[in-house]
Amino acid sequence: MDLAQLTSDLEALRARAIAAAAAAPDTAALDALDVEVLGKKGGITAILRSIGALPPEDRPRLGAVGNEVRAAVEAAISAARARLSASELAARLAAEAVDVTTPGRPVRRGSLHPIMETAREIADVFAQFGFVVYEGPEVEDDVTNFQMLNIPPDHPARDLWDTLYLDLEGRLLRTHTSPGQIRVMHQEQPPIRALLPGRCFRYEAVDASHASEFFQVEGLMVDEGTSMADLKGLLDQFAHAMFGADRPTRFRPGYYPFTEPSVAFDILCVICNGEKCPACSRTGWMTILGAGMVHPVVLRYGGIDPERYQGFAFGMGVERIANLRHHVVDLRQYMEDDLRFLGAFR
Amino acid sequence: MRVPLSWLREFVDIQLTPEQLAERLTLLGMEVKHIERWGADWQNVVIGELLTVDKHPRADRLHLTTVTVGGETLSIVCGADNIAPGQRVPVALPGAVLPGDRRIERTEKMGVVSNGMLCSGDELRLTGDADGILILPQDTPLGVPLADLYGDVVLDVDVKPNRGDALSILGLAREVAAATRQGVRQPPITVEEGSGPSSAERFAVDVRDPELCPRFVGRWVGHVRVGPSPDWVQMRLLAAGQRPISNVVDASNYVMLELGKPIHTFDAAAVGAGPDGRATIVVRRAAAGERLETLDHVDRELSPEALLIADPRGPIAVAGVMGGANSEVAEATTDVVVESAVFDAVSIRRTAFRLGLRSEASSRFEKGQETRLARLGADRTAQLLHEWAGGVVAPGRVDTAPAEPGRPRVAFRPARVNRLLGTELTADEQRDLLARVGVETEPAAPGDRVDVAITPHLLAVVPDEGSAITALVPTWRRDIAVEADVAEEIARVRGYELVPSVTPDTLMPTFRASPLEVRELVRETLAGAGLTEVVTTALVSPRHHDTFVLARDVPSIEGEDEPGGSAIEVTNPLSRDHSLLRRNLLGSLLDVVAVNLRHGTPDVAVFEIGKGYARSGATAREWWRLGIALTGAAEEPGWNRAARPYDLDDAKGILELVARRAGLPRPVYEAETAEAVFHPGRTARAAAGGDLFAILGELHPDTIDRWGLRSSQRVILAEIALRGLAAGRLAPERARSVVRFPEVDRDLAIIVPEATPAAAVETLVRATAGSLLREVTLFDIYRGVPLAGDEKSLAYRLRLGAGDRTLTEPEVEAAVAAVVAALPGIGGRLRA
Ligand SMILES: [Zn+2]
Repeated sequence: MDLAQLTSDLEALRARAIAAAAAAPDTAALDALDVEVLGKKGGITAILRSIGALPPEDRPRLGAVGNEVRAAVEAAISAARARLSASELAARLAAEAVDVTTPGRPVRRGSLHPIMETAREIADVFAQFGFVVYEGPEVEDDVTNFQMLNIPPDHPARDLWDTLYLDLEGRLLRTHTSPGQIRVMHQEQPPIRALLPGRCFRYEAVDASHASEFFQVEGLMVDEGTSMADLKGLLDQFAHAMFGADRPTRFRPGYYPFTEPSVAFDILCVICNGEKCPACSRTGWMTILGAGMVHPVVLRYGGIDPERYQGFAFGMGVERIANLRHHVVDLRQYMEDDLRFLGAFR
Repeated sequence: MRVPLSWLREFVDIQLTPEQLAERLTLLGMEVKHIERWGADWQNVVIGELLTVDKHPRADRLHLTTVTVGGETLSIVCGADNIAPGQRVPVALPGAVLPGDRRIERTEKMGVVSNGMLCSGDELRLTGDADGILILPQDTPLGVPLADLYGDVVLDVDVKPNRGDALSILGLAREVAAATRQGVRQPPITVEEGSGPSSAERFAVDVRDPELCPRFVGRWVGHVRVGPSPDWVQMRLLAAGQRPISNVVDASNYVMLELGKPIHTFDAAAVGAGPDGRATIVVRRAAAGERLETLDHVDRELSPEALLIADPRGPIAVAGVMGGANSEVAEATTDVVVESAVFDAVSIRRTAFRLGLRSEASSRFEKGQETRLARLGADRTAQLLHEWAGGVVAPGRVDTAPAEPGRPRVAFRPARVNRLLGTELTADEQRDLLARVGVETEPAAPGDRVDVAITPHLLAVVPDEGSAITALVPTWRRDIAVEADVAEEIARVRGYELVPSVTPDTLMPTFRASPLEVRELVRETLAGAGLTEVVTTALVSPRHHDTFVLARDVPSIEGEDEPGGSAIEVTNPLSRDHSLLRRNLLGSLLDVVAVNLRHGTPDVAVFEIGKGYARSGATAREWWRLGIALTGAAEEPGWNRAARPYDLDDAKGILELVARRAGLPRPVYEAETAEAVFHPGRTARAAAGGDLFAILGELHPDTIDRWGLRSSQRVILAEIALRGLAAGRLAPERARSVVRFPEVDRDLAIIVPEATPAAAVETLVRATAGSLLREVTLFDIYRGVPLAGDEKSLAYRLRLGAGDRTLTEPEVEAAVAAVVAALPGIGGRLRA
């Protein structure tokens, strides 16, 4: 063995290994090449094992060549590995492709009932003006539902509320949320800003525009200077919040025994915008709520001095507001609970 | 109230179009609901003159006429007998349309061509006469469309219950006058009295109960010829919605519509005589058991509260409600007693309700009437009986309370009016506005107090000197009684549109939590979990109530109304289907399932937050519940997923989600086997401390059958009581530090008898594993070889940790060993 022979063997191995690395079909072939050439029992190690047979002065020179060949082969394998893994990854990704245009796996979508949501939206608007929510019982007594609201027994105004009576003496199903005014006044001292949502009942044959069970929202504000101008301002802002900032409103006289003066509050017909259509009985306007300044008698029944304090109350049918906002024409749909109807709402 | 404009114009000038007038009245508080074109359904009906009237050659009952309508001459066949040449009549030309969408064409009647039709008043709905052709005045212009002459506009005005004074043409004329700033013409009431005995000599009135009848004015009209009213009267009544009957009855209806005063007329011959020989009317309450056959020929028992018009022998009318058949004015009647009385409003209302006889008359009485109207009504009726029926009016009236009260004085403070309205009107401006509705004003006299409220007892204040004005209220305006009423009148006449619109800047109330907080949280949670919110009726049928009432109700959260007791019933239900208040939400939700299955929606996942109701003794109770119904596919099937039906575990998962969102521990379950509506093997009770109680389970197949679902789908229902649903806030969550030392998982497969509930095993694990136990999760259940047939293996993962250090192996082993050692206590063992 001489140095020249061994050096030539190393060079031949280098050339063969580099050619093999370049030709390797996959990373597994490179792994095999790595073991074959660079491994503990590989070609380079095998050649260098003969180093002991060389004269001492030649040994470092062969070692240097060996290191040089090892580095060159390592570089070649590493370069080939980088090239191959990129193309293998590309091949895998290509194989994994799916049709991304198919619809997704369905997630069941729930929804909230339009009446409950409308009541919440109404409450949200008034909450901005400091109105807080109270609730009263649905089984009411005649005294609170009528008499304390300035509607004595046998008063002709009772015709305005067809009442469902119960087999409990003096008790009835509340015909409106207005008895809540009395309950709030018994509970609080002015300043009062109260909102009372809830279910109400009437002796009313059910058709497209009448229900025997329905929801109302009542409002009550009482303080020393709370005036009809405040009422108008608040209702205007409410209408604009619910029906658009440019929706004209109309404030006109109404009648309720528990308010004086009483108000009917209209918005320009949302169907015809005032052009007069069947939906607005050809008036161009739609009444969305009733209101007025709390009658002094009601304040007194509420335990509030009507000489010092004054205030307003308003009440609206939630279905009415929801109808106009969502273009519902038959309010029986609200309690029929057909999911095809309810599914249209958020 | 129906108001023909032609009638209204008798009392006030109207320059506005009907639409403008309607809007002005509406803005004044007299809402016009509808504008009707009276006569709009007469198409192609013109005025003609009869030229010839001959017998029909082949039909005895028909006439052959020739008619001119100005140009050509038409031959028309007619069946009426009241026609003669020279008369002016309404002619429906071929192509005409009459009320009821009746079309008139050229026809052949018994071999003779008829080029149209002569019309009766009834065919035109213009008068009540169906027997003869409507004969028009001789000066009616030829060829003119009938609608141009007799067409009218009728306003349908919604008069509110406090404005009984406006339930009349005259009353609404006053409103029009106020709206258009002009005066009202009073109706020309001039009674031409005859000679002979006076009314007082003819008859007497004995009011036994002056509280219920403050004034009774009577008049005697003799020599009346009962027959149809003049055509123009019939036309007017019909346009106002009142059917013509006879001149006597029409006169009283006319006065009711014109003045707002209900009038009754008696056949004087039927009024029995008193001891002095005069016919005598007694106004008294009914005696027990007394009966009367009313005008509608129904024999009625009268309650002792009812006010009667009687003669010495017995009742002849129910005061203010309906006359008696025994004293009805009939064709043979010659002498008439006119009753124009004022009755107590409450009494009339009660009697009308009790008898189920509410009428135009009773509805006016029950709104209260000024006593002055009694005199005006009697005079006006006597005048019309003279003019329309040839009656001879006996001199004088019988009047039980001739004194007429003056105008009520209602003092008000202009400054207080401004405070209420948010306006800055001067006192003079306010007085001018009041003057437009006939309210006169003067400076308050020293003794005048300001009435703030009259009920429950008078609250009056002494105004500062010079600060008050006294309104002299017209007698007919019974609605203006206190200061606030004056304020409304000022605002109303001025126009509500002129009230300023401002944002309130007064004090805010103190903070109060919304009672809706937990309900909102639950709603958002469940909608996010794929459930749809529903709202169902609280009133249900007895069958519904009885089927779904539970042997053991879901208990309420402490402090809220407890369920139980008996059902609350509606005494006047609209139908049996809605006659009881429901005790729980289960049946209502099953109805929602049924409706949707019927409509072809098989997958239903819904919830409702609503109340249950019951009574205990005289106390009504209401409690809030969350109800859930699930059926069909739990996961919507898609091309990439198979359908999986809802089962009890889905309901439990939803319950656990709600509990978690409400900050509660995981609910603990126990089997419920005894509720008839539910599947005995697939129903659970659940509780999470005292903060959540529930029943949830599959419906019993019998329930599904009985409810007619006709479906093999399983249905899961749940009802849940949850703290805060009624009101109340959730406590802020307490943060948990993330553990910095590793926790250790150990899996234990525990074999227990099939009958041992998993909850018992879990309870045992929790009780014995010691303080290092962090979590227990059931992750598998295995049945089969090598287990015995009545055994199952429950695989639990125990997570152990100390929080402040890494656990040592002996500590972990000790915890596991403690669990294993306790297993025999429940008949369990560790799976090898
Ligand atoms: Zn419209």
